[in-house]
Amino acid sequence: MTLTLSSLTRSFGGFRAVDSVSFSVDEGGLVGVIGPNGAGKSTLFSLISGFLAPDSGTVSLFGEDITRLAAHERARRGMVRTFQVPREYAHLTVRENLLAAVPGQSGETLRGLFLRPAAVRAEEQTARARVADAIGFLRLSPVAETPAGRLSGGQKKLLELGRALMTNPKLILLDEPFAGVNPVLVAALSDHIRTLNGRGIGFLIIEHDLPALTRLVSTLHVMDRGRIIASGAPEAVLSAPEVREAYLGGVS
Amino acid sequence: MEAYLAAIAAIALIYVLLALGLTLHYGLTGLINFGHVGFFCIGAYAAAILSTKGGMPIAVGFVAAAVLAGLAAWPIGLVSLRLRDDYFAIVTLGFSETVRLVVTSERWLTNGVQGIPGIPRLFEGLGVGMPSALAIVGVLLAVNAAAIWLFFRLVKSPFGRMIEAIRDNEEAVRALGKDPARFKIRVLVLGAALAGIAGAFYAHYIGYVVPDQFIPLVTFYVWMAIIMGGVGRISGAVVGAALLMLFLEGSRFLRDVVPFISAVDMASVRIGAVGLALVLFTMFRPQGLMGDYTRR
Amino acid sequence: MVFWVELLIAGVVSGLVIGLVALAITLVFGIARFPNAATGDTMTLGAYGALAGHAATGSLLLGGALGALGGAVTGLAAYALVFRRLSGRSTVALLVASIGIGFILRAGLALAFGHTQQVFQAPLVRPWRFEGVRIHPNDLRLAATAAFALAVVFATLYLTPIGRRMRAVADDPALARVCGISPVRVMVALWLLAGAVAGIAGVILGMRTVVAPEIGWDMLLPGFAAAILGGIGSPVGAVVAGLIIGIAQEMATPVVGFTYKIALAFVVMLFVLLVRPRGLFGRVEGVR
Repeated sequence: MTLTLSSLTRSFGGFRAVDSVSFSVDEGGLVGVIGPNGAGKSTLFSLISGFLAPDSGTVSLFGEDITRLAAHERARRGMVRTFQVPREYAHLTVRENLLAAVPGQSGETLRGLFLRPAAVRAEEQTARARVADAIGFLRLSPVAETPAGRLSGGQKKLLELGRALMTNPKLILLDEPFAGVNPVLVAALSDHIRTLNGRGIGFLIIEHDLPALTRLVSTLHVMDRGRIIASGAPEAVLSAPEVREAYLGGVS
Repeated sequence: MEAYLAAIAAIALIYVLLALGLTLHYGLTGLINFGHVGFFCIGAYAAAILSTKGGMPIAVGFVAAAVLAGLAAWPIGLVSLRLRDDYFAIVTLGFSETVRLVVTSERWLTNGVQGIPGIPRLFEGLGVGMPSALAIVGVLLAVNAAAIWLFFRLVKSPFGRMIEAIRDNEEAVRALGKDPARFKIRVLVLGAALAGIAGAFYAHYIGYVVPDQFIPLVTFYVWMAIIMGGVGRISGAVVGAALLMLFLEGSRFLRDVVPFISAVDMASVRIGAVGLALVLFTMFRPQGLMGDYTRR
Repeated sequence: MVFWVELLIAGVVSGLVIGLVALAITLVFGIARFPNAATGDTMTLGAYGALAGHAATGSLLLGGALGALGGAVTGLAAYALVFRRLSGRSTVALLVASIGIGFILRAGLALAFGHTQQVFQAPLVRPWRFEGVRIHPNDLRLAATAAFALAVVFATLYLTPIGRRMRAVADDPALARVCGISPVRVMVALWLLAGAVAGIAGVILGMRTVVAPEIGWDMLLPGFAAAILGGIGSPVGAVVAGLIIGIAQEMATPVVGFTYKIALAFVVMLFVLLVRPRGLFGRVEGVR
């Protein structure tokens, strides 16, 4: 098991946004979470990634209980998240955005910077090579030297995925990666996710865009009013009556 | 005339040091430091006390000024870097006012409101007048050059990339596995130490220190400088400090031109003009006079 | 014992002033979402307004009303001319602009009224004595004024439709917009109310001590401290915390000395931010 959630619960002033949610993601798994607006998906993501603390329940990663760890410490253990609204470093170029995500750079400490300049230079070269690869893979070369604030919404989503990749993750949490992205980029993004999954990186994806997600994931969890109401293979889950009631019924 | 220019140059260069520190804090890292004058004050008093009552060499005072100002920044950082940025602004403002209260109250150490007179000037051996004035300006230029060199190295380094990333989006930094507090505390201490050195220069240049020299207005002079020069650029700190000096000296000349205006009234006009500049720049020209600040 | 009781009474009166400042700060912080550093200088304007009104009419009551009105007009003008145009910009833009507005107010007041300290010309009244404890009738009157002002503000917030809307915006701006609450009308009401509260705080402070261009600025730190201790956005918290800080300052004066009174507010603020950042009555989401 890469990630295991057990009875995660979080309330806001008496309202249970996430209500004893338990599930797990296998190593290299490709798992989706869907649910109507206000179902608690984003809160769940914040609980998993450490941006919110749960009232009760635990999160464990590779068998280690990480419920009390800070967000950056979780990311260092190989689980990294993206945001629904991209949070690019607006004044840094795409290349610098990716470079800033490379872990363990001794040039990021003052001591390393001034006492070990040769080591810093060597590391920087390695990091730049990795970043160049990622830019090629994500087809961001034309905008590599553009400040990220000027990218289109879809390009920013690609950049978010790229930054996550730079941290050498074992599991990536994607928060609505397809929202506001044009269909061509949705296809490209899905391809990237499949390719990366083929290389052994697990994904947990929250999404609203059902068709894109159901084509992608092998397991789907449906959330409604803070609870998981159905889990399983996408087709099976989507045809379950309680899901149609809660989710699809709410739409039509 | 030469003496006047040398004096202006010396004060302007001291403001450049302050502006560089604030650029590191706010322009590059996004820390809303409203208490810069507190670090400046600690540096000035450290140098003043050590060189008069302490009887120490001037160089020791400079080192102590940098170290003590940096040390003062450390607990402030530990306490408040976990807070939202508007809280950080309030806490730093409170810090600088508290520093002023301490130097006002601890008479045994600081002489209270009377202040500390008779601080030795730099290069007194060269005799009063141009040689020593030029030597002071020369040393200030060298220190500024060193600070600017250091800043460019920082900004172009992986460390510089990270602090600008923190300024642009701190949550993303956390999500990607790096702890913003670690970077911010170092930035805070570095900028504060630089302000401490500026304070030591100020004390030795003016020759006396009193609490009234360290009112919050000084902090906002520096804010006005970096906003005018262009937030987030190193050149902006230099240009802004020059513009600030032009403003401060210009308002002094105004007094010679406009009759019947008292010194206190002039001080009020100055405060009002700083206020107006802060409001107008924020509203109409947040990028400063020099233009876009996307990269340096 | 008598000594401490007198300090306690002094603490309650200055605590009411701090509570009013904190109320003005917390209303703006909760609804417009930034700490307004011009609050202190709005107070000063209220004090000078009352001074001028008193000189012109000979009535302390009319003077005080003019001070409150001056504060309200200043608040509204600051909103209309500056803060409204900065909505959607970063916190630092609003903060720096509010510092600038404070400076402009202070400079204008100093130029218009001079730099020397002025006092309200009120007849000297011999203090009453209860069991040896001296009570100044003037202090009682000012405390009553503060209590009355607080009652009006709380009635506005909790009993009127516009007050309910203000509290709704403070709770959740996005939701309030969805419910069709006009943000501009709420903002106008907010700035009038916060300005008037700051103005009255200035009037009371000026009548109790002296009027000078810096009196408001010196109250800013205790005001922020009380707003944070009370919990940002909580009017009740602001007043309770103001009283706590006011009493603590007066009671501590014999121990720590007169100048460190203000530093005490800073220490309280740091302590609260470290131990319980949401304050006494604040919501959880107030601080990250």
